[in-house]
Amino acid sequence: MWLPVFGLLIGIILGFLVDLDIPHEYSNYLSIAVLAAFDTLFGGIRAHLQDLYDEVVFVTGFFFNIVLAAGLAFLGVHLGVDLYLAAIFVFGVRLFQNIAMIRRILIDKWSNSRKKQKKNL
Amino acid sequence: MSKIDGKRVVLSLVCVVLGFMIAFSYNLTKDNQGVREDKAWNQEYELRQQLIEQEKQNREFQKELLQKQDIVSKIEKDLAQEKQLFFNLAKDTEKYRMFLGKVKVRGTGLQVTLEDGTNMDPKANVNDYLVHEQHVFKVVNELYISGAEAVAINGQRLNRDSYIICNGPVITVDGHQHPAPFIISAIGDPDVLGASLDLPGGIKEQLVDDNIIFTMEKKKNIIFDPVIGG
Repeated sequence: MWLPVFGLLIGIILGFLVDLDIPHEYSNYLSIAVLAAFDTLFGGIRAHLQDLYDEVVFVTGFFFNIVLAAGLAFLGVHLGVDLYLAAIFVFGVRLFQNIAMIRRILIDKWSNSRKKQKKNL
Repeated sequence: MSKIDGKRVVLSLVCVVLGFMIAFSYNLTKDNQGVREDKAWNQEYELRQQLIEQEKQNREFQKELLQKQDIVSKIEKDLAQEKQLFFNLAKDTEKYRMFLGKVKVRGTGLQVTLEDGTNMDPKANVNDYLVHEQHVFKVVNELYISGAEAVAINGQRLNRDSYIICNGPVITVDGHQHPAPFIISAIGDPDVLGASLDLPGGIKEQLVDDNIIFTMEKKKNIIFDPVIGG
């Protein structure tokens, strides 16, 4: 259970330590990729809570979404169409939906457990 | 258990990537914002500084310009004075040239003719009736003293180092011999010149006492050519 948290910490530390300088115009792609990663992560958590979690789908979705979002934004910039808006919109909406689902599931579980406890009492 | 561990490992990898991306993005955004604001502020500050510097410089230049203008106006005044000076100098030069006989002169003047006396007493010495060089001297000197600007004898102009010598029946002026009668012409105010010769006991009377026929004529236009080789 602690391994993923540990990994997250390592990642954050790495990110702070690495002093790469990305040109300013590329920071947009990075932020979209971060958004895609968040979306996938919360999607994964939701799936896990709903017992629909598939590791392959999660991992491939994680990386594929990141690349796709960045690629879309890149394409958009070069075509003169603000495609990154589409990516932000889709990922943003899905992020909120996923978080809402997670919240409901957690509430359900919590109230169920309380009922059980009451019954038990 | 090993299956679960594998899941965890993959999940951990994903978490590493996620953490890295989040941290990196956060870092980058923070840096960029700071840099951008700093840049803008710095630029503005620099430009302001430049502007101030420029205005200072402008003020200095303005002062300098005023000073320069002062100098220019001074120079112009000097030039005007110099011009006046040169004008005067040119006039003087012209005058001196005239005195030296270097230029052609023209003007009103007086013409004096000295002729040997004719009503000669047969017993008398002929020398007493001739015009001698001292007579010419007297006339010439008197003319110069009374303000003649140029004098000529028989059309030969006198300059500063002319010499007149008596050489028997003729008078030699600068090596040119002139017989009587001697026509001495002078440029100047004819009235003044005439009056000075005409004084009681003056040149005219002295010459007439010396049995010389003295005629005086006021001329309106006398022209002297420059002295050649003078």
